[in-house]
Amino acid sequence: MRATIVPPTGNPLSRSQGKRKLSKLEKRRMLRDWMFISPQLFIFVLLTIVPFIVAIPILFTDMAQFNDPQINPVGLHNFLALFTDSGVQADYLPALRRTVIFVVLNYTTVFIFGLSLALLMYEVGFRGGFFTVVYLPLMVSGLAVGYMAVMLFSKETGTVNLLLRETGLIKKPIDIYSARGTAFILPLMVGWRYAGYNMAIFLAGLLSIPKETIEASIVDGSNYWQRLWHVYFPQMLPSFLLATTMCLIGSFAVFDELVALGALYVNPEAKLLSVLFFTYGFQIDRLAMGMTLAVMTFLPLVILGVALQRLQRRLQY
Amino acid sequence: MTNTPTLPTKSKKRFRSVASRRRWLRVFALFVMLTYTVVTLFPFYALFIRSFVSTKDSADLHLWIPEASEVNMNAQVGNLSVFYDLDLKGLKDAFGIPQTDFIMSRTTLRQLGEKYDIPEAKIREFFAGFYTFNGWKTLLTGDLYGTSFWGALARTLLITIISVVVGIILSIFTGYGLAGLRRRDQMVVYNIYLLQMVIPAMLILLPQFLMFQWFFKLFPGYGNAGFMRYGLQLLAIILINIKGTALSTMIFTAAISAIPQEVEDSAMIDGASSWQYVRHILLPLLKVPIVSLLVIMLPLVYNQFLEPYVYLDPANSTLLPFIQSAVGQFSTNFQLIYSAIFASVLPMVIVYLLFRRMFVEGVMAGAIKG
Repeated sequence: MRATIVPPTGNPLSRSQGKRKLSKLEKRRMLRDWMFISPQLFIFVLLTIVPFIVAIPILFTDMAQFNDPQINPVGLHNFLALFTDSGVQADYLPALRRTVIFVVLNYTTVFIFGLSLALLMYEVGFRGGFFTVVYLPLMVSGLAVGYMAVMLFSKETGTVNLLLRETGLIKKPIDIYSARGTAFILPLMVGWRYAGYNMAIFLAGLLSIPKETIEASIVDGSNYWQRLWHVYFPQMLPSFLLATTMCLIGSFAVFDELVALGALYVNPEAKLLSVLFFTYGFQIDRLAMGMTLAVMTFLPLVILGVALQRLQRRLQY
Repeated sequence: MTNTPTLPTKSKKRFRSVASRRRWLRVFALFVMLTYTVVTLFPFYALFIRSFVSTKDSADLHLWIPEASEVNMNAQVGNLSVFYDLDLKGLKDAFGIPQTDFIMSRTTLRQLGEKYDIPEAKIREFFAGFYTFNGWKTLLTGDLYGTSFWGALARTLLITIISVVVGIILSIFTGYGLAGLRRRDQMVVYNIYLLQMVIPAMLILLPQFLMFQWFFKLFPGYGNAGFMRYGLQLLAIILINIKGTALSTMIFTAAISAIPQEVEDSAMIDGASSWQYVRHILLPLLKVPIVSLLVIMLPLVYNQFLEPYVYLDPANSTLLPFIQSAVGQFSTNFQLIYSAIFASVLPMVIVYLLFRRMFVEGVMAGAIKG
């Protein structure tokens, strides 16, 4: 219908007239694009990029709190404190150890929950009902997941403890506030919460594998393990990279669940790095030090994250 | 299997073993799914039950709402108000005790009855269901630092709705401006948004908060509690939520790039402005990506804790910071805490179950884009 209204003569004409007219059109298009891009980009740059620039001069001062009347330059002291100041070391190193343990265990749950559920779903066919169940915990806040952990695994009153003791499966109750309890239960609950998210990532990767390659491997007589390692996983590499990036960044920044476990006040075993930065900034007046530690911890991660992201995008297209 | 007699015995056997293996796989898969479903639903169920289990009974296993137990006449008033947040004012009103009278915390209910000549039956009637519904009653009627559960819930819903609607509109604009990724400047903007995925909120929290403090100081009304201060604090949260993410940019840039250029050209030739094109032609075509972003953004915004906890005054807080300060205040009344957590989880779970098909499809579409 439109063909009668749009004469195809316009395009060849403008092309033959040379570059000037085309660039004018391009300019108008660019102006229009920027009109639409700028509102959100302004907010984004102001709230995500500018804070980095604002933070840089503060890293070299002794700024203690947000409305500190007297700020003195201290040079590289904040950066060196991690290697020289025993007080900072006593705060940072245990938190770092707990965080690394948490990241490793949490990364395992990505595969235990996410990958195996995705494979199950892929092999027996997509089940909307089961997907709904697996994704359900993602509707729950981190804070609520933390309190659920307390409710289930408290030493005296935890429902799971009471249940297991009633049925005689355990003698010694699990204690969420002990070092071991926190270290194992926290990644378990976080992994349970993100199971649906990771499953969706892996399932999307599985669904993108061309059916022919799988059929060919079956015809060639491969067993399931061989198919997993040589057909599925290599073709799912972008999914693995995405899940790794998200898990790495997410677990270094885990916070809400820790608050529920009492990390800000009573439970030192739940003090991971994010809690330490928060405490330095908002509770014990060591703002500049907190910022410096946060930058020193996260910046290598951000760089690693960008590298992983680039690799993932290159593999995908 | 009745139509296979022509097959040689060997391959028939093989066929059967494959079929039986498939059947065993199905049984195994069903078993795993069932177990996982039970394990996933159990915490929600336990949370619901525990919101009715009083602190004194919490060391016993309860798999169903416990029978309402009668109040112990030897219970001390002080203990009841510490562990169960007994409403002393309401108690005095109900028994005709003058508000000015001081009740010693060691006084038991029996002594109270003798002193003010209240029949025991009347006291028991007042405390009927006290242990069972204590958490819910305190949560839904109580007041904390100048706000109530309902106020906090209202602010949460306000922030969630504004953030999601405005956030999606702005993200559509961004996607439209970036569509095709034809030029260098578009590529740069796109990569800036991708950075968001690897920058954790914790890294920029402190300088971001500092910048907002500078911004707030520009407004003279910010210094004292009131509409101006609370409004600005809520605005800060909304701005953080609508700033756009890697995912929102990827979803809309990809979706709008997939729409043929001819659609836009023909609209322009018919005399539509860019705005009219976005509003009347693009928007209806973007239903799938909009749902996709909506179902991913909704729980994130509703369950946001860190920023509201830092930015909002207690009297102006949203649901989760409200619960956290309630924990600080009533740290001994776990029944109340579990009631509050269950109440905070419920709205989002109901929305999820009502629109579960939208969620499942949206999440899968988003995962494929990501």
